[in-house]
Amino acid sequence: MKIVAPISRVDEVAAVAAAGAREIYCGIVPTDWTDRFRSAGVNRRAFGNLTRYEELGEAIAIAADHGATISLVMNAQHYADEQVGALQELAERFAGMGGHALIVGDIGLLARLGRRGLGIRLHASSLLACRNAGAAALLGELGACRVVLPRDVTLGEITAIAAARPELEFEAFVLNDGCVFEEGNCHTIHLPGRLGGPICLDRYAVEYDRVDGRRLAGTEIEALAANDALHDEWLWYRFGCGFSVTANGLPFGPCGLCAVPTLAGAGIAAVKIAGREGPLDRKLKSVEMVRATLDRLEDAESDASVAAFAQGLRARQDLCATGYMCYYREVIERYGAGTAHGAPAPAAVMGAP
Amino acid sequence: MSEVALALVQAKTLERLLENGPPRVADCAGMLGWPAPPLPNGVDGQRVARIHLGSEFCETLLPSEPQLEQAIGLAGAAGLGFALLTPALSDSGLAALAALLPRLARGTEVVANDWGTLRMLRDIRPDLIPVAGRLLCKMVKDPRLPSAEWARLYPHGVHSGPFGSVLAMMGISRIEMDVPPFADAGDFRSETARVSVHAPYGFSVKGRACRIGSLGQPPGGKFTSGQECRKECLVYVGGLSRGDAGAGDLPTFQRGNTVFYRHSPSMISALSEALAEGWIDRLVLNGDWNENRRPH
Repeated sequence: MKIVAPISRVDEVAAVAAAGAREIYCGIVPTDWTDRFRSAGVNRRAFGNLTRYEELGEAIAIAADHGATISLVMNAQHYADEQVGALQELAERFAGMGGHALIVGDIGLLARLGRRGLGIRLHASSLLACRNAGAAALLGELGACRVVLPRDVTLGEITAIAAARPELEFEAFVLNDGCVFEEGNCHTIHLPGRLGGPICLDRYAVEYDRVDGRRLAGTEIEALAANDALHDEWLWYRFGCGFSVTANGLPFGPCGLCAVPTLAGAGIAAVKIAGREGPLDRKLKSVEMVRATLDRLEDAESDASVAAFAQGLRARQDLCATGYMCYYREVIERYGAGTAHGAPAPAAVMGAP
Repeated sequence: MSEVALALVQAKTLERLLENGPPRVADCAGMLGWPAPPLPNGVDGQRVARIHLGSEFCETLLPSEPQLEQAIGLAGAAGLGFALLTPALSDSGLAALAALLPRLARGTEVVANDWGTLRMLRDIRPDLIPVAGRLLCKMVKDPRLPSAEWARLYPHGVHSGPFGSVLAMMGISRIEMDVPPFADAGDFRSETARVSVHAPYGFSVKGRACRIGSLGQPPGGKFTSGQECRKECLVYVGGLSRGDAGAGDLPTFQRGNTVFYRHSPSMISALSEALAEGWIDRLVLNGDWNENRRPH
């Protein structure tokens, strides 16, 4: 399984590749785009993008020197007609540079690029919200050779989808950035912090009512409050455990490391590390954690042993045990969270947390 | 004049709604507990022409076969058109939907919010009429946007050529849209597709992990994909507020796994203008899936 990892600057490419990423992805917002459209909306993120075409070429060359590739995101959920034309030109330019893949979030753009036959791989972004084998098949019909599955599919669903569509590659999330809602069905904007930030991080108070008009009973009020308290706790995990790291910089937060054996068994081609806008150290530590887990798997250790190793990487199995930090909580239900199974202490591999 | 469709998640109110034939919108408002639905002028007095049953947001709420049969029968007896509403579906959800399809007569509309659903309809029931639901017709719909400039940063492509080509490939000639914040009447103008628009609420974002659906689950079973629930969304609605920070927000609430906003007067004006221009040929009213702000 390949590690897919992000960069936001050219000078991050060598380090991310050296850490073990074989597919590196980035975005670009060139000045001719902003001049023409008065918007940064080439992709899903306004920040963390390259700004010059020359940088794309440099990134591709550096990655190649390290045995890696560069993929370009075009993963806004929707584009207007004139933007599709501009993106088509960008796609042709990127293909001509030797880019590896385009990661596309708009189904119309995917179909258009698929018909053009640009000689570059097309990856259907997680923004396309593929939740079943039929959707994957359609994305393949439109030209995608890989489907990036959204965060909210279960391991069982991933396994079934991959088994049903052997002609396609699949990529699954493994670390960082946990949407509270479904990314592909989110029609909000990550506003600046002063305006509330992402809607899932915004400070909404909830006032419940019964839809039949009856007053809430005291027991209902208590149950709703208890549920909301746990929801707040889940949000804390969802947002990187308060955006915290271990003493040696390993990031907490949404994680599927212990599911790597199951994903590999399902034939998943690649695992994705999210977080283009994050600092380089977070990206590097993330790649290192995935690489260390994959190394154990490639050493033919048992799935349970690899899972235990992954859960021990941050030496906070208590956080794993809640299941709230997981992309794929089923693993916790299957193996629990602990350092059993005789696995060597992961800290010995990654450094003391 | 555009026709009016009434969207319902539950079939249980249908018998009463239709006992005197096709109800007027004002009758629906009374029976379904809409306090003062913000709708375009004149809609109150219109009669409902269609019933749309199901959920666009959660596969747990797919109707059962008996519910579907009852609803089709009641709608047919009242001389109303019928559509089955479907959400984003997992493979098991698609299997559940496939079991319902034999109940649908040739020419019945199925509103799909998932590309896999549309592919299945194309392949196994091409005699049904597929409609692209509002989850597939993407546009910025953030209830917190302070100005129209924010929405213009990400223009929608609902009527773009490339999206239209995909719709054509899937045999789709009707789309469903929301009224976005800071809507312009031109947002609804399509050169190729028939346009249905939802009112008086739009959806902003939906999740799969469900907050209210976690109410009856143990801590380890809460807030996760594929979780079990007791359909608490049928019992509770959550009003959302950002306090002073949200003074300019559209009224916002969460029903089930989805956040909705209520249309503002300016959005209703844009909707009214598009209706008057004939760019919208169907208004879909959110029947039982709304704020339900009944007097206590």
